[in-house]
Amino acid sequence: MSKWTLKEVIVMAALSVVFGVIYLAFIPIGGILVGFMGPIGYEPIFGIWFIVSIIAAYIFQKPGAAFISETIAATIEVMLGNALGPLIIVVGIIQGIGAEAVFAATRWKNYSLWVLMLAGMGSAVTSFIWGMFQNGYIAFAPSYILAMFVIRLISGALIGGWLGKVISDALAKTGVLASFALGKQYKKRKKAA
Amino acid sequence: MYIHNLNPSIKAITIILSVLLLTVVFDPITPLLFIIWIWIITLFVAKVNIKKFLLFLSPFLIFAFGMFWSNLAFGNEPTNPTEVVSFWGNNIPIENINTALALSLRILAFASLSLLFLLTTNILHFILSLMQQCKLPPKLAYGILAGYRFLPMIKDELGLIRSAHRVRGINRAKTLKEKMHQYKRFIIPLLASAIRKAERTAIAMESKGFTGSRDRTFYRQFTVTTKDWLFLVMMLSVLITLIIFAWQIGYFRWYTGEI
Repeated sequence: MSKWTLKEVIVMAALSVVFGVIYLAFIPIGGILVGFMGPIGYEPIFGIWFIVSIIAAYIFQKPGAAFISETIAATIEVMLGNALGPLIIVVGIIQGIGAEAVFAATRWKNYSLWVLMLAGMGSAVTSFIWGMFQNGYIAFAPSYILAMFVIRLISGALIGGWLGKVISDALAKTGVLASFALGKQYKKRKKAA
Repeated sequence: MYIHNLNPSIKAITIILSVLLLTVVFDPITPLLFIIWIWIITLFVAKVNIKKFLLFLSPFLIFAFGMFWSNLAFGNEPTNPTEVVSFWGNNIPIENINTALALSLRILAFASLSLLFLLTTNILHFILSLMQQCKLPPKLAYGILAGYRFLPMIKDELGLIRSAHRVRGINRAKTLKEKMHQYKRFIIPLLASAIRKAERTAIAMESKGFTGSRDRTFYRQFTVTTKDWLFLVMMLSVLITLIIFAWQIGYFRWYTGEI
């Protein structure tokens, strides 16, 4: 935590608040899909719940960004009244670990689109393992479990990784990220061009 | 008011431990009895308003229902396929019905536990207690609290952005494609202004002497007393007793199929 400035922590918290609201808004959408399609209804939109860890990691490019931001977003969700309560913090921690592990594998150096998409998939893997236990998915037929897992992986890569990068790049263009890693890189690139 | 005054961190830990214990249970009886127990605590000991409680619980009924029927439709091969029940002309193995019931009741048990926490805990106290009891770094704790305060500002900001777009002649979105474009137009200015506000808040906090060090005093002190541990022990021992009881009457199951 000592490597983080207060400014970075608060900006990360602010990002987590915005996405905490978005996360909450997607729960009823998921709920409706689940009511009609069963648990697999959650899978196509599951990547949205990983997006803040991708965005924070890409903006700050520091160890812990993916993990801490996802945990904060989950905490904010509890504060706003996610009915899953304190359990959602555990879920946030588990999703954060998945994304963080991918960034750790690159020693927090590489933030290309591929790595971001892999990080989204990393969250998909850890959250799915947790879901197997929490919701007892293990009782389903193996082919159904496999279908759920593959859809979640794709969703994590596209909605988490790709969309996360698009949003962060658009933010960098506005200039508000000037004092963070991504904004600095953007400025450098602009100067060179 | 016993439940309201418990230490928030211990309350959260109790609930998370109960959830973890419940995840190994695959029979319907244990979660059902535990749900009844939680409801008694929530409604009679904590005296939560029953209307409020049911309102919060209702979305989970939909989720539990989805879980129930898809378990029947896509459940794993039963180990004992000869025991079946006829239902609307379909033969459904008893084992699958049991599992489906168990898993949907589990969702309701999780929801009830969480509501017991949410409806009796001041969330500000929860964060402060996490910092004092669970070693959450102050930088993070106050960061979260500051972020939480942005919420009404973000709502105002959304109204501003919407008006600004309208003044410039962008009409309300009608089709789904237009709506997607609209969200794209909203999210970037919204995030940009949130980041600017956050930066200003951080500067304000630092200029008032906030260092984020753990060596600090607190206006609101939270402590852990015997009654907090009592609550933890009580909740877990009830759950364990229920599991043992279900075992004794031969109902208890954990996962027995193949992975």
